[in-house]
Amino acid sequence: MKKIIVACGGAVATSTVAATAIKELCQKNNIPVEILQIRMTEIEGNLEGVDLIVTTMRIKKDFGKPYVNGMPFLSGLNVEKTEQAILSVLQG
Amino acid sequence: MDIILACVQYFVDLGAAVMLPIVIFIVALALGQSIGKALKSGISIGIGFIGIGLVIGLMLNNLAPAAKAMSANFGISMNIIDIGWPGSAPMTWASNIALVAIPVAIIVNIVMLTLRMTRVVNIDIWNIWHFAFTGAIINIATGSYILGIVGVALHAAYAYKIGDWFAPVTEKYFGLEGIAMPHGTTGWFAPISVPINWILDRIPVIRNIDINLEHFQKFGAVGDPSIMGGIMGIIIGILAGYDLRGILTLGIQMAAVIILMPQVVKHIMAGLMPVSEKAKSALQKHFKNSTFYIGLDCALLLGDPAVVAASLLFIPVTIFIAAIVPGNQILPFGDLPTIGFFIAMAVGVHNGNLFRTLITGSVVMFMTLFIANQMIGLQTTLAANAGQLKAGISQVGSLDQGGSPVTYILTQIMHNTNMMGLLIVGGIYIFCVICTWIWHKKQVAELNSEKNTESDTTVSAH
Repeated sequence: MKKIIVACGGAVATSTVAATAIKELCQKNNIPVEILQIRMTEIEGNLEGVDLIVTTMRIKKDFGKPYVNGMPFLSGLNVEKTEQAILSVLQG
Repeated sequence: MDIILACVQYFVDLGAAVMLPIVIFIVALALGQSIGKALKSGISIGIGFIGIGLVIGLMLNNLAPAAKAMSANFGISMNIIDIGWPGSAPMTWASNIALVAIPVAIIVNIVMLTLRMTRVVNIDIWNIWHFAFTGAIINIATGSYILGIVGVALHAAYAYKIGDWFAPVTEKYFGLEGIAMPHGTTGWFAPISVPINWILDRIPVIRNIDINLEHFQKFGAVGDPSIMGGIMGIIIGILAGYDLRGILTLGIQMAAVIILMPQVVKHIMAGLMPVSEKAKSALQKHFKNSTFYIGLDCALLLGDPAVVAASLLFIPVTIFIAAIVPGNQILPFGDLPTIGFFIAMAVGVHNGNLFRTLITGSVVMFMTLFIANQMIGLQTTLAANAGQLKAGISQVGSLDQGGSPVTYILTQIMHNTNMMGLLIVGGIYIFCVICTWIWHKKQVAELNSEKNTESDTTVSAH
């Protein structure tokens, strides 16, 4: 079971879009995941056992965990590249 | 005819938690989703409404009596709870304007794109609720559904222009190329930062003050919403004169409200996904040229470190301002964890300078609270219509979107109840918008001349 943090400003709108996309991606590739959808300000307190952090905005801080920017799930540009990046973290 | 009306009435009386799942199920099927997916979307939106009802109940039933006791103890009048956008958005989606607002906002966008009045292709369907809120409030104030829809269209058109005007800031400061923020919260306040920036640039000494954000990073733990909610609850409990048990209970309850709110509201968003995905792909197919900006949620700005620092700073500042706004009845609460929405674009306009952001933000919060107080009556009706008013709670308010000057000005123009309020808020706000327009022209000219000097061998055809 891989644990993924999906975060945005309010943990409602953009992170739901990204979380749904990631859930479907993992299902398709048979990767069991647990998705933690939270506000960006809650990342710091939820890092334990996390395999990947995805945020829908750019973060400049390094949390010491693999990170992928999830903005392409919103804009629709470069989605495939982002999916590849996520898969390579989860499968690697 | 009577039978049809009775059927419609019965359907509406089912309440948002039952009616919207049926509507979304039908809409999702019509948009070509499978039965399974359509069913899941429908039920998901219902779950969101049941959930937000529970959390709002937890908040109002416990925080409201404490706020009343606190107000009585100190002779202040902050006894109406700010339910925040996590409270306002669901009651807007439950209103009779909301589902019509989505196609209206998209049509306005397409018309403006076709007429070259905007470059923003808005694919941020969730935040159409801001425009719908304006429409729903106008509908309640005037009793006219048509005027409500006109309100949605006007607010949407204005938001797209805001997206255009601040796209250079989005690109230059936040580094989001090709993206605009036609957003109801960050959007409306952004023009206020422009004249303030201009004035501050012309005051000796003050214009040189630049506060760096590193000082704020050590307060990281307070920025965690659960800790912040707990502290807020405990402080209000103490001020309310509760005993130790009451104080600690309120602390944990408010931490729970802050954490559970997005956890339940996100199901509403998940239910809207089939609609928003469809709208997104249709808009992208027709307007994918690079001369367009993609309109996205300004949640994208909240990751910037200076915005994070400013958001922390504005939790206490907003409560302080609430205490000094004359006649203020609203206790800021629901919007505090995402207070950054109000100030994010100011951080960009002020180039990350927290001193200037503090000034702009204070003006913004003062104006927001002033307006939100006048919106209490209309917002309470909206809440009652959505079935979210709890027993014993007579009134609710919100900073986002009840405190928006755009909603306020449009409502007052269509149904005037406070001429002075309209003239003051309208006057200040329109002045800021005009300044923004002039400033935007300059920004575009600067960007163009920069691009021209970079590639002066290219012959420009314009």
